[in-house]
Amino acid sequence: MSPKAVQYRANSIIYFKGDQSERIFLLNSGKVSLSYVDIETGQEVRDLIKVGEFFGVKSALGRYIREETAVVLQDAAAMVFSVPEFEQVASKNTRIITKMLKVFSNQLRRIHRQVQNLMVSDEQVNPETGLFKIGEYYMNNKRYGQALHAYKRYLVYYPSGAYATDVTNKIMQAEEFVSKYGSGAPPASSAPSAAPPKAGAQPPPAAAAQAPAAAGELPDLAQAYYNAVSLISQEKYTEAYKAFKKMLDGGADPEYSSKAEFEMAKCLFYLKQYDSCIKSFSAIAQKFPKHPDMKDALFFVARSYEEKGDKARAGGLFKKIISMGTEDDPVVRKTKKALRALEEKS
Amino acid sequence: MSSALDLSMFNRFSVTFRKGDIIFCEYEPGDTFYLIQAGRVQIVRIIGDLEKNIDVLYPGEVFGEMAILEEAPRSATTIALDEVKALEFNRENFEVLMMGNPQIAMKLLKLFVKRIYDQKRRFLILTLDDMEAKVADVFLMLAENQPADPNAGDSRDFKTTVDDMSHWAGIPPGQCREVLNHFVAQRRIELHPDRIAVKNINDFARFVNSRRKQQEK
Repeated sequence: MSPKAVQYRANSIIYFKGDQSERIFLLNSGKVSLSYVDIETGQEVRDLIKVGEFFGVKSALGRYIREETAVVLQDAAAMVFSVPEFEQVASKNTRIITKMLKVFSNQLRRIHRQVQNLMVSDEQVNPETGLFKIGEYYMNNKRYGQALHAYKRYLVYYPSGAYATDVTNKIMQAEEFVSKYGSGAPPASSAPSAAPPKAGAQPPPAAAAQAPAAAGELPDLAQAYYNAVSLISQEKYTEAYKAFKKMLDGGADPEYSSKAEFEMAKCLFYLKQYDSCIKSFSAIAQKFPKHPDMKDALFFVARSYEEKGDKARAGGLFKKIISMGTEDDPVVRKTKKALRALEEKS
Repeated sequence: MSSALDLSMFNRFSVTFRKGDIIFCEYEPGDTFYLIQAGRVQIVRIIGDLEKNIDVLYPGEVFGEMAILEEAPRSATTIALDEVKALEFNRENFEVLMMGNPQIAMKLLKLFVKRIYDQKRRFLILTLDDMEAKVADVFLMLAENQPADPNAGDSRDFKTTVDDMSHWAGIPPGQCREVLNHFVAQRRIELHPDRIAVKNINDFARFVNSRRKQQEK
């Protein structure tokens, strides 16, 4: 089987609306129009097919009935394909598919808008509130890992949003719970889930009995640390730097003092104090040669060199980071991207 | 088909998610879409106090593809049900993928075709003025989307809920429940916790057609 060339006389019909067929047409010459009723206005619309254009594609590929009638306006010649024949031709010339994808994506966008316009009822949720509520849902259902993800995304997009303070506190709680109880229940894989019991943001009762003091409260130090971290996410770097410094000066325990030092060095980068940033991270590396976030530290050092114009050093460090981690490590991914950008610039 | 694809040239787009990880949240702005290589991905929406399972996707399937069209907020949350390996694409590298891989391009083309039809079908429901006709038309849409059971006769069973029905009909859940209760009183349907049984789908088809004709006059 191969595509057939077919001649059509003026005023004949190639197919009718409502027909079911798996044939796809490519107009070689002549004039063909598609007539259909616009679903929004109810008006009859006529689209002229250009020579070299395919038609009848959607209904054939999707095995739906034809939505339009194809009328021959002037004697025409067309190639007629079956679906497998069309797929074969298109796979050898992906431009055909990418072009159609563009056409279909425009149609999809249009119908999507039309549907949204009719859905004014209760469906319109402001994305900020929507995202916050997703975090709340998972938190209330003790799925702390997922809650944490949603809350963190919230802070990325709405660092000074209406729920930012609340979210910052919830992140602290969720992190505490994740470290104590794990990420929480796995997602339900079964179809429509039953109504979960209403639960507050407390840890599971059994665990709470073992750790009576930890019901959502954090030690002051942790509180101070997370408050400062949240300042970074709000891009208030000077204030964040000061807050971390205050923690250090106050004689924080080693766990938090090393974390605070690290974050301060990051702030220096964002504050464009690249020399100080490099110096701070070098000091951290000497003090904690096996720091768990060493790749991240190197990344900031490399970016600092890049900003200072020392591309050779930046590139060398980027490559070192890549050699230290695996493909799916987010720092490695971020670094690869940075390295590509650096190489494109030079 | 997916197993036959050689995607090694796309390794640089490879990402891994741990079991239970959220891949993206509903309402988040989105500019990436994914092709699953290993593991399952669950698509959910949080509606009120419930997490609704919309779909579970398997290797070879694409999700998040609306991001190619516009940077609209994500319309659902996606969660890794297993450790998931996927290729992550965006509008910039999308064409590279399509040019190098016609099978994926064709798959996406068919997915778009289905989406266009689904949306058009939904639009038709929403244009009905009559509340009962809207709900009845949702049943017709559900029937069109499920394979015909030769033993079912005129009756149909739908794994759906009042909330789902109200979502598709574009009416508040309270109103939708009233309509459904009315149908129950008329013995046209039976409401069960996990499903709704329609006694005679053709009866609903006649009803919707007559309402649509009245509206056109």
